[in-house]
Amino acid sequence: MRAVRYFVNNLDRILGYTAQHVVLIVMAILIAVLVWVSVGILVRNSRRMARGVLAVASLIMSVPSVALYGILVSIPGLGLSRQSAVLALVLYAMLPIIRNVYVALNGVDPAIMEAARGMGMSTRRILWRVQLPLATPVVLAGVRVSVVMMVGIATLAVFIGERNLGVLIQQGLVRTRSDMIIVGAVIVSAFSIGIDYLFGKLERLLVSPGIRGETT
Amino acid sequence: MIRFSNVSKRYPSMTRPAVDGLSLDVEEGQTCVFVGPSGCGKTTTLKMINRIFEPSSGKIYVNGRDALSQDQDQLRQGIGYVIQKTGLFPHYTVFENVATVPRLLGWDEKRVAVRVRELLQLVGLDPDENVSKYPRELSGGQSQRVGVARAMAADPPVMLMDEPFGAVDPITRTQLQNEFLTLQQKVRKTICFVTHDIDEAIKMGDRIAIMNNGRLVQYDTPENLLLAPADEFVAQFIGSDRSLKVLSLLPLPKVLKRQFRVVRESAELQTVRASFDRSERNRLIVEDDHSNVVGYVTRSDAEKAGSARGWNRFIKPFPATLPPEATLRDALAVMLQHDVGAVPVMESSHTFMGMVYLDDIRSYVGEAYQEREPEQTVEAPS
Repeated sequence: MRAVRYFVNNLDRILGYTAQHVVLIVMAILIAVLVWVSVGILVRNSRRMARGVLAVASLIMSVPSVALYGILVSIPGLGLSRQSAVLALVLYAMLPIIRNVYVALNGVDPAIMEAARGMGMSTRRILWRVQLPLATPVVLAGVRVSVVMMVGIATLAVFIGERNLGVLIQQGLVRTRSDMIIVGAVIVSAFSIGIDYLFGKLERLLVSPGIRGETT
Repeated sequence: MIRFSNVSKRYPSMTRPAVDGLSLDVEEGQTCVFVGPSGCGKTTTLKMINRIFEPSSGKIYVNGRDALSQDQDQLRQGIGYVIQKTGLFPHYTVFENVATVPRLLGWDEKRVAVRVRELLQLVGLDPDENVSKYPRELSGGQSQRVGVARAMAADPPVMLMDEPFGAVDPITRTQLQNEFLTLQQKVRKTICFVTHDIDEAIKMGDRIAIMNNGRLVQYDTPENLLLAPADEFVAQFIGSDRSLKVLSLLPLPKVLKRQFRVVRESAELQTVRASFDRSERNRLIVEDDHSNVVGYVTRSDAEKAGSARGWNRFIKPFPATLPPEATLRDALAVMLQHDVGAVPVMESSHTFMGMVYLDDIRSYVGEAYQEREPEQTVEAPS
């Protein structure tokens, strides 16, 4: 009950935090998709390069988020800024996105690849018309995992100056205000559920009905 | 049309070449079937034509042009390619799949649409029903038909088919083979076809290239292959029943006995007996007034018959007949099934053309072997 009262009384503030959260994640995911999908495409034909990139990504993934924020803040030019927060989220998305792009592009049925080549499609055309469309469900799955992860990790960006839903949780902890924690946690969860829904829609939009609902 | 000139292919991981010094010509409009045990180099050979594999040495000419010096993608756009697992694009509809190469070639969409519908009809699929389906909604046979339509989309003069009917059930397979033969009659493409099934090779090929260990062992017509295998390997590969297989390649007319006396059903007994008197055979073919064959009457029965028209009750229908396009194999099958030594051949199932006799088949096949087999010199024991 107290949580509901807190939510109603502080609606403006909470909406502001939510907006900040959304902005941070949208920025991070746009950059992450652009960069990591490209990297995935670039390394698709080189097992050695892919291994190297994925090793780096795993390493980054294993750094605790608070520590990663700390490291980024200490880099001159980044500091206590939104750049640091975005960069941290982008880095966490590296492993799930690159790995899924790499696996999906190389997982296209060899018979389909051979047919495409045998008909005289260029490597580039095969990538855009065959491999990427077929890889889309798996790539989307990677992006989805990244976003869900980002929603959580973004709350910790309050330690480097972000004013998002993490504020509710952090302040709630400091002041032992369970109502604040509950409001923060519920919104963050709702957020994740909303993203799930959104990705369902996105999949309908991007994935051909011919392969929808299949796990590649 | 397609020429291999001393072509070899070595893979780095293998000690002996996968294809070793292959030279062979495939003539325009002919189907050449590459056949042999697995690892014999047949698939490698096929895939060197469209440069899925690059030869290590030698030259390949397609349509008189050196395939190896052409732009790879352009070369492939001019060669239809059908593979066993169809390789249909699952995210494309049937329409988009078939339209792949025409779109690559930059045809305008109107022409593409007309062509796709035409092709689906050609391979026996209803365009209206199928254009917007996705490959996963198709049966194995339908998929392979779409695969063939896709390969033929831009009307390439050359088609490569890598075990195209290998992944479907036997009934569908036979059906696809027959459809394909009919189709090839119409379109007359130059086709290279790979199979490991010698029966399919005999059925589909104008010429058969038997390969073993990367080498071409024999390149010949199916008939010659069966009647005169080049060596022990070929003889073994085509099987001990090769004399049975050859029967399906030999047409009936060669052994057809055409001279038969025919009497009308309405004839008098005298006429019948007179016919027998002028004939050496012991049977007369009996027709009705519209020249439809109703059966036969034997000499002894005609002699038994008393009254002028009473002989009619001795007319016996033929237990089985054959169409003129039947093969000797069909003839033999019918004879065995009905336990008879002769079968009549009827055009459109009622016009009599002649009789086929078991003895004639036997001597004809025997002669065919003797003609082709080199004379054996037998040394007298000392």
